[in-house]
Amino acid sequence: MIGAVSGLLLRSVVVLTGTALLTFVLLWNAPGDPALSIAQARYATVVSGDVLEQVRAEAGLDGGFWTAFRGWIEPLLVGDFGQSSVTGRDVWPDLLTAASYTVPLALMGLGIGMVIALPLAILATRRPGSWMDRLAVALASLGAAIPAYWLGLLLILLFAVTLAWLPAMGARTPAHAILPAMTLGFGVAAALTRIIRSGILEARGQSFLPALRRRGVTHRAIGRDHVAPHAAIPVITVFGLELAFLLEGLVMVEVIFARPGLGSFLVSAILARDFPKVQAAVLLTALIFVTINLAIDLIYRVIDPRIGARDA
Amino acid sequence: MRSVIVLAIVFVMFAVVGPILAPHDPTAINIPQRLSPPNSQWFLGTDALGRDILSRLLHGARWSLGLAFLISLIGLAIGTVVGLAAALGGKWMDWAIMRVTDMFLAFPELVAAVVIAGLMGASTASLIFALSIVGWMRYARVARGIGLSLESRGYVIQARLAGMSPLSIARWHYLPSLLPSLIVVWTGMFARAILGISALGFLGFGVQPPTPEWGTMLLDARIHMRSTPLQMIWPGLAVVACVLAINLAGDSLRDALAERERSA
Repeated sequence: MIGAVSGLLLRSVVVLTGTALLTFVLLWNAPGDPALSIAQARYATVVSGDVLEQVRAEAGLDGGFWTAFRGWIEPLLVGDFGQSSVTGRDVWPDLLTAASYTVPLALMGLGIGMVIALPLAILATRRPGSWMDRLAVALASLGAAIPAYWLGLLLILLFAVTLAWLPAMGARTPAHAILPAMTLGFGVAAALTRIIRSGILEARGQSFLPALRRRGVTHRAIGRDHVAPHAAIPVITVFGLELAFLLEGLVMVEVIFARPGLGSFLVSAILARDFPKVQAAVLLTALIFVTINLAIDLIYRVIDPRIGARDA
Repeated sequence: MRSVIVLAIVFVMFAVVGPILAPHDPTAINIPQRLSPPNSQWFLGTDALGRDILSRLLHGARWSLGLAFLISLIGLAIGTVVGLAAALGGKWMDWAIMRVTDMFLAFPELVAAVVIAGLMGASTASLIFALSIVGWMRYARVARGIGLSLESRGYVIQARLAGMSPLSIARWHYLPSLLPSLIVVWTGMFARAILGISALGFLGFGVQPPTPEWGTMLLDARIHMRSTPLQMIWPGLAVVACVLAINLAGDSLRDALAERERSA
C-alpha cells in the first residue's frame, strides 16, 4: 500500500512539473513580443525602445528561456506566484479571491447534479427499458449534447429576460449564483445519470445476487448493501473525468454570467497577455485536477482492494 | 441504429451541399434589414449587420463540422501512433509515454485549448492546433490498452518469432484489432470537437469574423438577446442537433461492437 501511494505521489509530481514546463514553453513561444504587450497593457501609449528594454529586463525576459523559467519556478516552490505583469499586484491574493467565487459555484453545480441524477437513475433502473428508463437516457443524451454556454444563455433568456425572476450578470448577491449553478448542474446531472444508471445495471448483473435473494435477504437490503457499493465504483472512476467537464463548464459559465472567478481570471489574463497570471491559473487548475485524481485513485484502492493488486 | 446513422449522414450532407442551398450570401451586409424577424425573405431572420442567418448557418456547417472532422482525425492519428509506441516500445518507453499522456490529461481539454488558442492569437490555424493537441490522449490510452492485451496472443508472438519488425506488427496485427474501438472513441471526440470549436468561437478565440461559424454567431447574437432572442436559438440548436446525432451514432456503434465481441 505504501509503495502504491508513493508511486502515485511520484507520478503526480512528475505530471505537475511537466505541466509547468509545458505551460512555460507555450508562453515563451507565443507569437508577439511579450514585453511589448506588457508595456502596451501598462502604459496604453506608443512605447519607446527604452521603455521596452526596461520592461523586458524587469519581467525577466532578457536572459533566455532557462533563466526566465528559473526566475519563475524558484519563487513558486516557496509559494510565491509573483506579480501581475500588467498591474504589478501580487497574483496570489487575486487568485484566492477568484477561487472564492469558483469553488462554491463548482460545489453547487455538483450538488445540483447529484440531486437530479441520483433519483433519476434509481427511478430509471427500477424497470430497465420502461418509459421512465428511456426518458432518463434521452434526457442524459440531450444534456450531454447541450453546450454549457448555450444552456446558460437560454436560462438567462428565460429567467432573467423574459420572466425577470433572477439576476444574471455579476456576483453581488447569492441569488446571482443560482443561474450559473443550474447551468453547471444540468450538465453534471446528464453525465452522472448515465454513469449511475449503467453502474446500477452492471451491479445488478453480479452473480451472487440471486444467491442472496434465495437466502431471503430483502430487496431493500440487497440494494443498500450490495448493489450500491458496486455501482459506486464506476461513478468514482468517471468522477475524475467529470471534474474536467465541470472545470470546462466553469470557464464558459463564468464568462457568460460575468462572474469574477478562476475562469474569467484565466480568460482576461490571456487577453491581457499577463503571463504570471496565466501561469498561476494554469498551474492551480492542474494542481486541483491532479490532487483530486490522486484522491480518487486512493479511495479506489480502499473501496476495492482488487484494483491495487491488478495494475500495480 | 439505422435512423441515427441516416441522421448523421444528413448532417454531413448539409456540410457538403449546405452552401449551395443557402438562399443568400452569408457575408453580405444589409444594414437597413438588420435584426429582421423570420419572414418569407429571411427564413430565420437576419443578424445585427443584416446578414441572412439561415445562409450563415448552412455555410457555418461546413466550418463547424469540417473543422471538427479534421481535428478529430488529427487526434486519431497522433493518439494511435503514441498508443502503439507505448504498447510496443518496452517497459520504459511505456512509462515515459504514459506520463506524458498524463501530463496532457492533467488539464481539462477545453481549458487547455482556450489557453493555447488564446496565446497563439485567434485564428483558424491556432484553433486547429489547440484542439488537436489536447484531443489525442483518449485514443492513445485505448490503443495502448488493447495493444498490451494483444501482446501475449499467439499470432503476435509467432509474428515476432518469425522476425517481423515492430512496425509491421503494429501495422498488420495491432491496427486491425484497434480500429473498431478507436472509431467509437472517434465519434465521441468528433462531437467534442464540434463543442470545442463553437466554445472557442464563442469566447472569440476561434474562427474569425466575418466567416460564419456557429459559436461566433452565438457570440454576436448574445448582445441582441432582448430584441431578437430567436437569433440566439438557431446556432445553438444546430450544435445540439449535430452533437446529439453523432453521440447517438457512437452509442449504437459501441453497442454493436460489444454485441459482436460477445458472440465471437
